[in-house]
Amino acid sequence: MSNTYIPIPMKVEKILAENPDRSLRTYDLSFVNEADGKNFHYVPGQFCEFSILGKGESPFGIASSPTEEGILKFTVSRTGSVTNEIHYLQEGDIVGVRGPLGNWYPFEKFKGKDVVIIGGGFAFTTLRSLLVFMLENREDYGKITVIYGARTPDFFIYKEELQEWDKREDLNLILTIDKPVPEWDKLCGFVPVVTKEVSPDPNSWCVICGPPAMIKFTLPVLLELNFAHDKIYTSLERRMKCGIGKCGRCGIGSKYVCIDGPVFSYEELKKIPDAF
Amino acid sequence: MVKIKKTRLKDFIDFVQQEYDVFAPTEVGKKTAFKKIDSAFEIIHDIVNTDRSPKEVFFPQSEVLFEYGKDGLKTPERKEKPIAVWGLRHCDTSSLTMLNKVFSDAHQMPDKDMFKDPYWKEKYDNSLIFNQACNTPLSTCFCHWFGRGPFDKTSSDIFVVDVDDVFLLEGISEKGKAFLAKYEKAEQATKEDEAKITELKRKAESFLAEKTDISELFEKIGKLWDEPIWEEISGKCVNCGACTFVCSTCHCFDVSDEGKKGKGKRIRLWDSCMFQLFTKEASGHNPRGISTQRVRQRFMHKYNYFMDNYGVHLCTGCGRCVQVCPVNLDVRELIKKVLDYKIS
Amino acid sequence: MQQLINQVKKILKAKEVDLVIGWGKGSLPFSATPVFIETEEDADKLIFDQTCRNNLTSYLTKDKRRLTKAYEKIGIIVKGCDSRSVVLYAVENQIKREDVVLIGVPCQGVFEKKKIAKLAEGKEVLEYKINGDNIILNGRDFESKYPLKDVLCDSCLTCQYPDAPEYDFFIGTPRKEVSIPEAYKIVEDFEKKSAEERWNYIKEEYSKCIRCYACRNVCPSCYCPECFVDQNDPQWIGKTPEVTDSIIFHLIRNLHIAGRCVDCGACVSACPVDLDLRVMSKKVEKEIKERFDYLAGIDINEKPAMATYCENEKQDFIMG
Repeated sequence: MSNTYIPIPMKVEKILAENPDRSLRTYDLSFVNEADGKNFHYVPGQFCEFSILGKGESPFGIASSPTEEGILKFTVSRTGSVTNEIHYLQEGDIVGVRGPLGNWYPFEKFKGKDVVIIGGGFAFTTLRSLLVFMLENREDYGKITVIYGARTPDFFIYKEELQEWDKREDLNLILTIDKPVPEWDKLCGFVPVVTKEVSPDPNSWCVICGPPAMIKFTLPVLLELNFAHDKIYTSLERRMKCGIGKCGRCGIGSKYVCIDGPVFSYEELKKIPDAF
Repeated sequence: MVKIKKTRLKDFIDFVQQEYDVFAPTEVGKKTAFKKIDSAFEIIHDIVNTDRSPKEVFFPQSEVLFEYGKDGLKTPERKEKPIAVWGLRHCDTSSLTMLNKVFSDAHQMPDKDMFKDPYWKEKYDNSLIFNQACNTPLSTCFCHWFGRGPFDKTSSDIFVVDVDDVFLLEGISEKGKAFLAKYEKAEQATKEDEAKITELKRKAESFLAEKTDISELFEKIGKLWDEPIWEEISGKCVNCGACTFVCSTCHCFDVSDEGKKGKGKRIRLWDSCMFQLFTKEASGHNPRGISTQRVRQRFMHKYNYFMDNYGVHLCTGCGRCVQVCPVNLDVRELIKKVLDYKIS
Repeated sequence: MQQLINQVKKILKAKEVDLVIGWGKGSLPFSATPVFIETEEDADKLIFDQTCRNNLTSYLTKDKRRLTKAYEKIGIIVKGCDSRSVVLYAVENQIKREDVVLIGVPCQGVFEKKKIAKLAEGKEVLEYKINGDNIILNGRDFESKYPLKDVLCDSCLTCQYPDAPEYDFFIGTPRKEVSIPEAYKIVEDFEKKSAEERWNYIKEEYSKCIRCYACRNVCPSCYCPECFVDQNDPQWIGKTPEVTDSIIFHLIRNLHIAGRCVDCGACVSACPVDLDLRVMSKKVEKEIKERFDYLAGIDINEKPAMATYCENEKQDFIMG
């Protein structure tokens, strides 16, 4: 019998501070044992428990795409005791990872369809996974629109990639910040307002991730635009421990975010009390 | 059905111990609990419900998941014999089957190996369960509300009835039958012995308090999420974990590391949805930050969510929570309140 | 009892309070249950007898002070120990004394259901009758008689203030302080033990703790919004029921309530595994009394012992 509580050893290959105050860092991890890497099959939207022995575990969405072989990418914001410890890591350190856990974005259903990705702040992690995956298989999808908002230009993550994506013809990338700052030549305004302005085709599939307030105010915009309830997807965050539907922490209604989610459609969520 | 004289129980327990570690109701501190016994003399026979529930036999309050050190990770190697539990009443036997659902499946993906809990399975799958008829249910017992009864035999390996100066034993599962067959010293039970069971059963059932019909409970409680009833119910709760810790079916746990960076262990330990910090996120956000939300979660889980996922109420009616609650938040009254509630 | 109900109805009617916290009949023979009364009609639910164990004042500070936020003026029915908790809250600036209305009730001591269970030797007691100084316990097939004092809480047996020293209304006439010659007997017995015996006792007792925190959660003096045992950044102590962690939890809790414990016995009654929690809290109470001549919850104008400093205080404990 496999033991899901045992973390897989991984090596920190690369650490990148995503913003000037260094509160957000992206970690590229490689598998210490080749066999572990071969057995690790994931798809965009899934998450892992990032394990620091002696401190504990914390769940993070996988930011890399399965098309990026050999590495797992996580972006970690410094908020609690485990994330604090993760921020002390140095390149070459060994950490533990349990996963892949949870369900995923329904990218199979996106085939041949237009897709809108809406993100806010540092909740762009699994959205990056999805976007990179779709761009690698570009011919499988219709129009791809990305609306990504952050408080200030500093708070975007994956800035280098954003620049590259911005240049692509086959991707409509819309970046927006909350308040104007000098030398910012993209949009200014909150994500719900920008979404309304961009007015994506309601026949598209939509994936939205961000702070609860952003989701709360963007959802009505999508509904007003006539998006079908079962075509809007989001990823929920809850405190988790086991990741396999036993420890009881991440329960919302009769669902567990760790196994029934983290990805839910709006159709499912509206039936679950207090999901937001 | 066979019988064993009470004066010869030690011999039988010795026989069980050749193959199993025997856990039975015994004294622990000033209270009673299912603990590993050395000899049959340690067993307390005349209590109905142990103070602590038997879940700790298979799901201890704290359990090492693995140790880590210079040589990497090491999972604890189980060197003990398999577990036999003597003296379980049917409420407790059924609580183990509920926990087994949690630790053996995940409701959507029962076939996937990754959702099986190896620590639980190693112990429970190889166990021998003696389910003892409950001759004298307490005033706090309400197993019959859930359609069970003090003399139910299901979900066990061997059914035991305490009759006068003998124990009558009946093999229920194949494993139980085979085990009993191996014990050659048992006498065959007579028709008279078996007749006594009927009488004991009738008497035990007469001790049970009035039954509340809970057939509508699942659906009704499911409609009350937004209703003010939860404020009324939770008003007196002080959010301690006493009910959840003595509960035979509560299974929420925490995972915590003990030790330093280079050497230590990862353990899991019972946690309680009654605790404020249970769901508090690192950001400070807490989806169940106030008492009312936590009380609602506990009882919705028991009488709605679990049914939704596993087809059974997560409650056996053992009444332990009724006995320990420091503010007398009686779950039976809660159920009645829910059933009587008029939705606004 | 009717007098109590009438008094509560009167203050509700006069809008002197918006809510009254009292006891109602419980579902078990020896447990009353807290009730929250907002209407005159509901006041008929109130009872007061030996089953009214809970210290209801803890609701003033629990659950992020939900009640004190929701109601402007709260009435509470108080025994002697309970009223001392209100004084403690006032002294520690947790409430304003004028925001609560205290209705004192004459307390004859309350039942310790664990003692009753022990006397019944595993048989279930379904009913009781009080007959003078005796209690008669009835079960399915037994009846037995015991002196009443054998079933009362230990705290009640050494209670110096059975009737509320602080109240707005009193049902009947309150007795003054009662002199208890052997108030600290359990502490003295404990002190007589050798260091090794004391340590063994503590280890054995706290090894039974299951860390359910019922003691802390019912304690009126434990009102920190976040307890040190729950904090995880930094994590001060382990969360397992290992004896070392349990000892740290209980002893630190004892120190946190030093000079603040009113000996209401709520922790003892709430403990599902019957820990002897009172020896240590009484020991601390005695130390504070001897060193600083202070007893919690008696004088609303006196500064708490742990919040004042005098140069002539004994310092010997610093050097051991």
